Amino acid sequence: MRIQTSEDLDSIRKRGLQKIQPGRPRIGVGTSSCGIAVGGIALYNRMHKIIQMKNLDISLVKTGCIGFCKEEPIVSVNIPGKALVLLRKVQEDDAERIISLALEGDVPSDLVLCKISDWDHITGNLVYGNGFDTIPEYGEIPFFAHQKKVILRDSGLINPEDIDEYIGIGGYSAAYQALTSMEPDTIIDEVKKSGLRGRGGAGFPAGLKWEITKKAPGEEKYIVCNADEGDPGAYMNRNEMESDPHMLLEGMLIGAFAMGVHEGLIYIRAEYPLAIERLMLALDQARTYGLLGKNIFNTGFDCDIRIATGAGAFVCGESTALAASIEGKTGRPRLRPPRLTEKGVFGKPTDLNNVETWCNVPVIIAKGALWYSSIGAKGNTGTKVFSLVGKVDNIGMVEVPLGTSLHSIIYDIGNGGAQGKEVKAVQTGGPSGGCIPVRLFDTPVDFESLNQVGTMMGSGGLVVMDEDTNMVDIARYFINFASGESCGKCVPCREGLKHMLLILNRIIAGKGTREDLDLLRELADTVQKTSLCGLGQTAPNPVLTTMQYFKEEYDALISSEA
Amino acid sequence: MSLFGSMNRMVTITINKNQYLAEEGEIFLLTAMRLNIDIPHLCYEKALEPYGACRLCMVDLVTCGKTTMTPACTIKVHNGLEILTDTPQIIKHRNLLFELYLAEAPKSEVIREMAAKYGVKKTRFLKKIVHEDPLLGKCILCGLCVRVCTEIMGTCAINFINRGPYTVINTPFFEQNPDCAGCAACAQVCPTKAIVFEDRDAERVMQSWSGTTVPLATCSSCKKSFAPEKLMHKVLDKLDPAIIEEIKSLCPECRRQHITRKVIRKVPKS
Repeated sequence: MRIQTSEDLDSIRKRGLQKIQPGRPRIGVGTSSCGIAVGGIALYNRMHKIIQMKNLDISLVKTGCIGFCKEEPIVSVNIPGKALVLLRKVQEDDAERIISLALEGDVPSDLVLCKISDWDHITGNLVYGNGFDTIPEYGEIPFFAHQKKVILRDSGLINPEDIDEYIGIGGYSAAYQALTSMEPDTIIDEVKKSGLRGRGGAGFPAGLKWEITKKAPGEEKYIVCNADEGDPGAYMNRNEMESDPHMLLEGMLIGAFAMGVHEGLIYIRAEYPLAIERLMLALDQARTYGLLGKNIFNTGFDCDIRIATGAGAFVCGESTALAASIEGKTGRPRLRPPRLTEKGVFGKPTDLNNVETWCNVPVIIAKGALWYSSIGAKGNTGTKVFSLVGKVDNIGMVEVPLGTSLHSIIYDIGNGGAQGKEVKAVQTGGPSGGCIPVRLFDTPVDFESLNQVGTMMGSGGLVVMDEDTNMVDIARYFINFASGESCGKCVPCREGLKHMLLILNRIIAGKGTREDLDLLRELADTVQKTSLCGLGQTAPNPVLTTMQYFKEEYDALISSEA
Repeated sequence: MSLFGSMNRMVTITINKNQYLAEEGEIFLLTAMRLNIDIPHLCYEKALEPYGACRLCMVDLVTCGKTTMTPACTIKVHNGLEILTDTPQIIKHRNLLFELYLAEAPKSEVIREMAAKYGVKKTRFLKKIVHEDPLLGKCILCGLCVRVCTEIMGTCAINFINRGPYTVINTPFFEQNPDCAGCAACAQVCPTKAIVFEDRDAERVMQSWSGTTVPLATCSSCKKSFAPEKLMHKVLDKLDPAIIEEIKSLCPECRRQHITRKVIRKVPKS
């Protein structure tokens, strides 16, 4: 059926809620890439088989990832009228007893992580119920307690492969509101007022970019979602797409309407097969409901979104290289200006935003700019999702208001170093970012503060290093990555990074000299200042920051030779 | 319209604290060249769009008292444009780039002379040595050959292969490419004279491009080979068939003689 009126949307919403709280036990198995990697699918299949064979009155669904990667596979069990219980590190062999206990209205106590009595989906509120008094509440688990879930509000709780569940918790109501009762310019104003900044790393005001694209001359324009996430250790966007694909589509739909654009593209890396699969499914479902295509919500507005897959090049995250790649050319950046908003995909004005930027849009429309800008810090509103990885105890996907200190993320949420080791530094922003030493952990995580300490927000990877990590080796790792991903167009990036790598290899092999250190610093400066695109301009950051904050580790490798 | 037939108005710009008149909209690199202000560059070619890959033409663009390093080939002249071409930071970075070029193309005399002109005589970086390099250790990957082949000739016989430090330029799969017309425009634009080809009897061998061999047209009069056949077809397709019919199989020398004789014959005897 096509959704045309608010009554249509309401009836689907009821159906969706019925699926989330079906009046019989519902088991959700975390099957994002992280869950699958530790046996999520096998577990799901086993449960499916048991339920079918015994013809049990249990609803079994795949859910996304709730973010606690360390505890995967995570299974949620909801007994009607009782709190939703999350089970941790569930093995395939636990399937039988989880099911039989669920039928009795209970859960295996040895696997319990926490319970959720009610949940704020922001676009809607769900009350699960009470019970399980001995099980700690979600908010009592330190990993969750310090987070604020806005982007990840549905992750791990709804079935990402069923549009009804997304609509059930209030999905597409923001799009309905925007298309049927808001002027396009009002939407842009609202996004501007919210203070939303681009989540791809540079932090450009999203509303302003929309306005520039809208004002660019020309009838044919594009909106593009940058899903070419490729920083080592970063997987926020993958999880967002795998766990809640409709949130992205809804954001893009609202953006397309605001800018008067009828064609959207999602540029996604081919290394994310599950995200592509779920997006494809989501697109089909949205088209079936008439949420994409012609005459959406009976407003006369047409818009469709298609998927373009990349071929695994980090540099294609750069806007002009991304546009070239979509056009079927080699992914090499070109000179800017003209910017994409002026001359983008196929030469048409193009608005390019990161996955997470688009994902922020539905809540801004649903709750208003004022509500949104109350989260986070001044000039850095909203939340940001980080993948907290490396040598930290609690590995996972964390979402915090911008302006939260690194200390809070790494110690309060991450619980410090893994296996009791001392944390030494954290790398933010992937190969474009830098390493921040523990003494600067009071730094608030926002675009400006991170720049001040020599690194950058990037898309949101936080790689924690402990006392055993050699920082020179870390610098070498990132330079090796950047050099291998350089497109080879301009000389500082192509040749400069290569020679930086050769010098670092020499230093690590104990054959480096003082002159090598000077040359390395000099070369890093030139590569940073003279490279053509962002990849080269930021690639020396890991070297520059480690040389600044961990000079003694470089010195140690030099003096050991003398 | 000015005396010189230009459509653009003349504006005042400042280069290294001196004022000059320049044509609005012109690419600053060209303006500087015309004014004899020296800016080294390797990847700019007037027939093509600015590419900005060699990074040697970086200058300091002054806006509101702040300087930004920008390639001169990407700056368009406008009134009040202020440029500094030889600040300490420009010289410092440029010299290091020359060192990178010296290491990348150790066999190139052009690079050596250019670097020496700016006082860079040697490199601190490990020199790239490629055995049996089809481009003789002279290629700096400026991309001019690829762009001329693709954008001007419309042939696309060569392209970049691999990426990053492993990038090379050659034909697909390093095999002879039947698409190559043998025009040698690539060799013509190459700033470091890295591309080699040779005419042998009735063939042109593009040695740098996997030995791609193209037949040469033979003059019907003197029987000498003169231009690649494919290139001749390409050119002749664009001309009026009636005019070219009698001269299309002649080499330039025989053509000249043929037309001269014809014209002389036409001169009426008084």
